[in-house]
Amino acid sequence: MSVPGPAVSLREGLGALERAYTLGHHGPAVARRRAALVDACLVELFDRAGAPAHVALVATGGYGRMVQLPASDIDLLVVHDDAASIAVIVDALLYPLWDAGLPVGHAVRTAAECLAATERLDAWTAMLDGRLVAGDETLAARAPAPVRARAREDPAGFARRLWDAAGAGRERFGSSAHLLEPDLKEGSGGLRDVASLGWLAAALGTDPEGAGVVRARERAAVDAGEAFLVRARSAIQLLTGRRTDRLVTELQPDVAREMGFVDEPNLLATDGLMRSLFEHARNVEHVSGLAVARVMAGATGGGSVDIGDPAAILEALADAADQGQVPSVGLLDAIEDLAVPDPVAWDARTRAAFLRLLRTGERGSAMFDVLDRMGLLARFIPAWAGVRCRPQRDPYHRSTVDAHLLAAAARMADLLAGSGDAEDPLEVATVAHVERPDALLLGALLHDVGKTGKGGHVPIGTAIARDTLDEMGVAGADHDLAVFMVEEHLLLPDTATRRDLSDEDLLLDVAARIGTPERLAGLYLLAKADALATGPAAWTPWRETLVRELVAKVQRVFDRGQMGEELAAHLAERTERLRELLHGEPDDRIERFILRVPRSYLLAVDPGRVAEHFRIVMPPLGRNEVRTASTAGSRAGTYEVVVVASDRPGLLSWIAGALAIGGISILAAQAFTTEDRTAIDVFEVEGAFEPEITEARWRAFRSTLRRTIEGSISLEHRVREKGRHYPRPRVSSPVTVRALNDVSEFSTVIEVGAPDRIGLLHDITRTFADLHLGVHLAKVATFDGRVVDAFYVRDELGRKVTEPGLLAGVESALRERLET
Amino acid sequence: MKLVTAIVKPHRIDDVKDALREIGVSGLTTTDVEGFGRQRGHTEVYRGAEYQVDFVPKVKVEVVVDDGDVDGVIDAIVKAARTGKIGDGKLWVGEVDRVMRIRTGEMGPDALSG
Repeated sequence: MSVPGPAVSLREGLGALERAYTLGHHGPAVARRRAALVDACLVELFDRAGAPAHVALVATGGYGRMVQLPASDIDLLVVHDDAASIAVIVDALLYPLWDAGLPVGHAVRTAAECLAATERLDAWTAMLDGRLVAGDETLAARAPAPVRARAREDPAGFARRLWDAAGAGRERFGSSAHLLEPDLKEGSGGLRDVASLGWLAAALGTDPEGAGVVRARERAAVDAGEAFLVRARSAIQLLTGRRTDRLVTELQPDVAREMGFVDEPNLLATDGLMRSLFEHARNVEHVSGLAVARVMAGATGGGSVDIGDPAAILEALADAADQGQVPSVGLLDAIEDLAVPDPVAWDARTRAAFLRLLRTGERGSAMFDVLDRMGLLARFIPAWAGVRCRPQRDPYHRSTVDAHLLAAAARMADLLAGSGDAEDPLEVATVAHVERPDALLLGALLHDVGKTGKGGHVPIGTAIARDTLDEMGVAGADHDLAVFMVEEHLLLPDTATRRDLSDEDLLLDVAARIGTPERLAGLYLLAKADALATGPAAWTPWRETLVRELVAKVQRVFDRGQMGEELAAHLAERTERLRELLHGEPDDRIERFILRVPRSYLLAVDPGRVAEHFRIVMPPLGRNEVRTASTAGSRAGTYEVVVVASDRPGLLSWIAGALAIGGISILAAQAFTTEDRTAIDVFEVEGAFEPEITEARWRAFRSTLRRTIEGSISLEHRVREKGRHYPRPRVSSPVTVRALNDVSEFSTVIEVGAPDRIGLLHDITRTFADLHLGVHLAKVATFDGRVVDAFYVRDELGRKVTEPGLLAGVESALRERLET
Repeated sequence: MKLVTAIVKPHRIDDVKDALREIGVSGLTTTDVEGFGRQRGHTEVYRGAEYQVDFVPKVKVEVVVDDGDVDGVIDAIVKAARTGKIGDGKLWVGEVDRVMRIRTGEMGPDALSG
């Protein structure tokens, strides 16, 4: 029986180690033990290879640092000075490892090649982790020494390369500190950042604490972070059996269980895992980032800083942000030495400095992060505690709630600074109309503050935002606008993507909810900042086009005066009155009715009448059914009648014709159409020869109209006949026709003025029907023998009439019909 | 088997999904798409700022169904997607040679059901 080789023994040893601890408890000590087992194997293999002179076996990377993870490569550097024989030696060392199925990453270099390899940062840093395992000590010393020396020649330059690489890594791998599927090795705040402190030490020639670039408290936080990250990353590798470092969603429940997390009220075990992970990764990201930045800026050492009160903390950070500086060790020490009350009582200075930080965008957000790392942000904003490190479970968000809020505020600052997107003319135009930028920044910072795991985040967030702004001492219009931003931050994106933007009443409702162009501009900027801060899937051209369409349409509603704060209040008042009048009807039925009827109807028709109409509008309507209800009109001898029927091309002309045939003169009319195509036409009428209009005459009218709708009679001829019995108009005045395309978003408005006569409304509307134009809304009035009408017409496809030829045709057809 | 593809207005998609679920369609794919048909691109204006909108946002729905179910599916989609206004979209049907459920390897109609 042959004695197993050292590589096979190693594999067995590693297997035994794997079994000795549960999956979730392979921390740094186990990683160190693993590295030691590899050391022992390599020493033996080196001996078996004849312990060749002038060859050194150096452990690099994680293995060099004694942090060997279950499925990670065993990183080796073979240093030599004899090119001729090295291949044989390397084969003798590596083949047994490969044969045993152990993953090895290796480099074979002479001392000179080691130095040349520093051109590549990853090779350089791997060598900075170098540790002699076996072989020629002198050679091992000779090779790494210049590699270290190169870093020491220019620590700031070396730190700059680390900074750039970290930035590139963040681009590629994202941040472990808040991404929902973090890469625990390469992601920002991952183990690579932990290692960077060691590389800085090599560049500084002393440990970073001694050099004054890392504070003792920060070092302790990084050590704890490393322990957690090593456990989590080992668990991932052990669970998958592969060298993988990303904690994908599918793995999170298993990793959480293995690491001992259990479900708690308002926090699932997986969210608990992620929250702890984010806490640690944030510390790592924060400390390594600060350390690298400090070395880069040459800002090492303490230096005493005077911080007198909480406002001074924000002022010092705002100064640093304004000047693009990294907060110094001295400053952070001074901040931590201050007894900051919990919560902080805000004053004008606190507020001013806080807003300055918000306005600096990304750099300001980084300072809020610094505050958060020291546990102070939640003392300034107590509500922050509810969203810190809280994962979000939806398809769009990639970050935790608090990271998302800081990112959204930073994006808003960018947008307001006008550094924005030249491709988006709306952005430029909205920014130009912002009068209260601070309110928008505060709104962006707080928009999701209600995501505390307790249900509907918008109402919760609105209440929290109101309290928070009160605590901050933000008052008046800024307070109201910021709260409004939080309350309505989903209005534009939700409406744009889920509702019919060709529904005029929808636009009026949105305009009524928003109230002013400034708020509309603010909501657009928040929708964009929110989406940009969310992740790449949230602000696609698809969404952007829809949101911009809605904003442009709502703005035009404001421009035309179709809706505004006053009108919105008036509408709300009328709707409320209607609810009172309908008291006793089921609430959902009332609300359905209010949603169904046009806003123009609610604004034009007295609530008392609307309440009466409710009873004949609400029951399901037969296809050819006609309903009427009449009451006394505005003066003696007149009647008000409402006609309800399924809308169809020509309906208004039939109603007008049937009234004419019944000897009923139209004094005024308002014709409305609901989105589900029910016509609600309200007429003020009087009897032409017999003043009294009895129920029998109404019945006759309904019958004529129904038979016309059914197609069993034709009105045209009868209306003309009827006209002959009536006197010609008393006044002779010219017929005027005017087509307007800027009065309504979806309809062309045709204004018609003509001398009044029986059958006139029928003739006008018949002309529209002949030209295949539908009348969506009509306002008809008679003044002193002359009618002044406005018809909101649309073509067969529901569009405005824009073609000049067709418009001219409408005009000439009307003149021809009315002038003869 | 047939592939029914429909391009519908974004705000109709929930109704389309409900209508298909009601007639027993157990799976469909939707994609946010942009394009144009008769409803061409247009110039949009916001407070004097003009910009061109070349493509209209729509949602594409794809359903693979057994031959016998095609008419029902078409009917359900058309009813749910129609508003009567311009831009209600298009629908087309194509032949599908093979369908496989990746997990089980089931082929044909078996891969569609359940």
